[in-house]
Amino acid sequence: MSDNVQKNILKKLLLRTQNRSRLWAALMALCIGTTLLLLSVMIWWNFRELLFGKNQNDTLGSTYLIIGKKVTEQNMGVANATVFTHQDIDDLKHAPQVEDLGIISSNHFPVYAMMGGKLAFATDLALESVPDKFIDKMPADWKWEPGSKNLPIIISSQFLDIYNYVFAPSQGLPQLSEGSVKSIVLNFKAGSGDQSEMFLAHVVGFSDRIGSVLAPQSFIDYGNKKWSKPGIPEAPSQIILKTKDPSDTKFAGYLQKHDYNTNPENLRWSRIRAIVEVVTSATGILALFLMGIGTLVFILFIELTIARAQNSLTLLLQIGYSPHYLSRFMINRFLPMVLATVIISMVITVIGQAVASAAVVSQGLILPAIPGWPVWAALIISTAILVTLVSKSVSGAIKKQ
Amino acid sequence: MQLSLQGIVPVPLREKISTYQSGIWKSPVVLNKGEYISIQAPSGTGKTTLIHILYGLRKDYEGEVIWGTHTLNATDNEALARLRTKNISVIFQDMRLFPELTAWENIEIKLKLTNTVTAHQATEWLERLGLKDKKNAMGNTLSYGEQQRIAIIRALLQPFEWLLMDEPFSHLDLANIEKAIALIGEVVKTHNAGMILADLDENNYFPYTQKILL
Repeated sequence: MSDNVQKNILKKLLLRTQNRSRLWAALMALCIGTTLLLLSVMIWWNFRELLFGKNQNDTLGSTYLIIGKKVTEQNMGVANATVFTHQDIDDLKHAPQVEDLGIISSNHFPVYAMMGGKLAFATDLALESVPDKFIDKMPADWKWEPGSKNLPIIISSQFLDIYNYVFAPSQGLPQLSEGSVKSIVLNFKAGSGDQSEMFLAHVVGFSDRIGSVLAPQSFIDYGNKKWSKPGIPEAPSQIILKTKDPSDTKFAGYLQKHDYNTNPENLRWSRIRAIVEVVTSATGILALFLMGIGTLVFILFIELTIARAQNSLTLLLQIGYSPHYLSRFMINRFLPMVLATVIISMVITVIGQAVASAAVVSQGLILPAIPGWPVWAALIISTAILVTLVSKSVSGAIKKQ
Repeated sequence: MQLSLQGIVPVPLREKISTYQSGIWKSPVVLNKGEYISIQAPSGTGKTTLIHILYGLRKDYEGEVIWGTHTLNATDNEALARLRTKNISVIFQDMRLFPELTAWENIEIKLKLTNTVTAHQATEWLERLGLKDKKNAMGNTLSYGEQQRIAIIRALLQPFEWLLMDEPFSHLDLANIEKAIALIGEVVKTHNAGMILADLDENNYFPYTQKILL
């Protein structure tokens, strides 16, 4: 109670000259600066999550690249000339920007696909497999065990596009949706002669990343062991790479030096991504600058308030109030305002993250519903800096009296 | 707490003081707790300057002012604040009240800082000095005499070993001077404190006062 009386009198003496509209303006400036800073860190981190995050596929660009050795006039027809040796694979693991690497295995045995009915066809088929972690849209039923007659396959989404927009119109055939393709059952004959086996193949998914027909690794391994033709090299001719930034000139130079081939479209995407990163970073710097301005405005407001209360402060010091006590009183008045501002900024950022998280779902992307740790770190660091600056500015201004 | 003055000379008065040797300026002086000191001198001879130097408001002087173990010029602001709430109190010549506070708030702001006198006691002192009806009057509406009486009460609201007074009764009539002297005398005695009163030549308010010339 007695403390409240004292505080009310001190408030009357020291904060009476405080201009309310200026206070709101200073708080707004601080809030806008802090919010922009947190939002820019959030955007930066979200881009990183989208581009490099563990949960992401490569719909945004070329994090994943499939490479092969260039077929030239010199190596054309030369056995094993375009396969990757153990040495090549070890080298690739340590190549610039390469985060992970997967071997693309192909079938070394004959596969014959057939279907009856209106869409009747029969064709030889090449299958490939990649480690599961490199599949962009992993179907739930993606597994095969020896003895099973049902074989899940994933086809390139480009195949469906070619069928729907090129082949079907030219042949007068009906176009097919993804759902209808998944309901079709294909008869696969694997192997030859007496050793061959029949399978019922189901399309369980479509890949934007791999441009062929994928079968589970266990099936390819089983088939290669059982029906492989002698003399066919076992070494892979294609490798799938997970890269941090394929637009990096060192990485591009590495590919060129080793005569590796990849889709240049992917590299162009990565350049666009690099531009996005630069823009995000520039936004961050601008936000940092704006927060600096906001902080400066608020600090100047505090100093102005103290300067206006100079007479009262001087007299309070003369009748025995200590600078430390008066500083603490003023800091306790301003810090809750700073903390309220920071909390409002954080709430806006959390809402922004939730909105962003919901918005990217329709694009097939995943973002966490709450801001990532860098946003919280930025919040803690910016709050600590603000609290320190406010405390120092108040103490400094009172010491000057 | 002993007060030791070691050859103090205020810088603005240096040339004037160099022409003569006096009681306090330039001389070593030691004042012991419980002593009543009256510094009598005409206007313009540095009485207020001396009180401000002793209270630590001015640092533009040569020599040293030592309160107990504290050399004033080497004492930081926190320690100075402790001295001003526990050891030394002052009645300023120009009162120095907060004009934007009421008479009672001017009392309360000190009362809550030191917590040595009760609100009841402070109210009683207000009554004794004839200010009962002025409790809620704003500082800037009080007459000089009323302000001076509030300033006297404010100075007595803390523990002290020395009370510094700079022409403390200059705006009071004789009746109020007597009341104020009685109150100051009682409180000083309670604290077993010493007093330094700076005033004009002709005034002699407290008996048993040792006179020192500037």
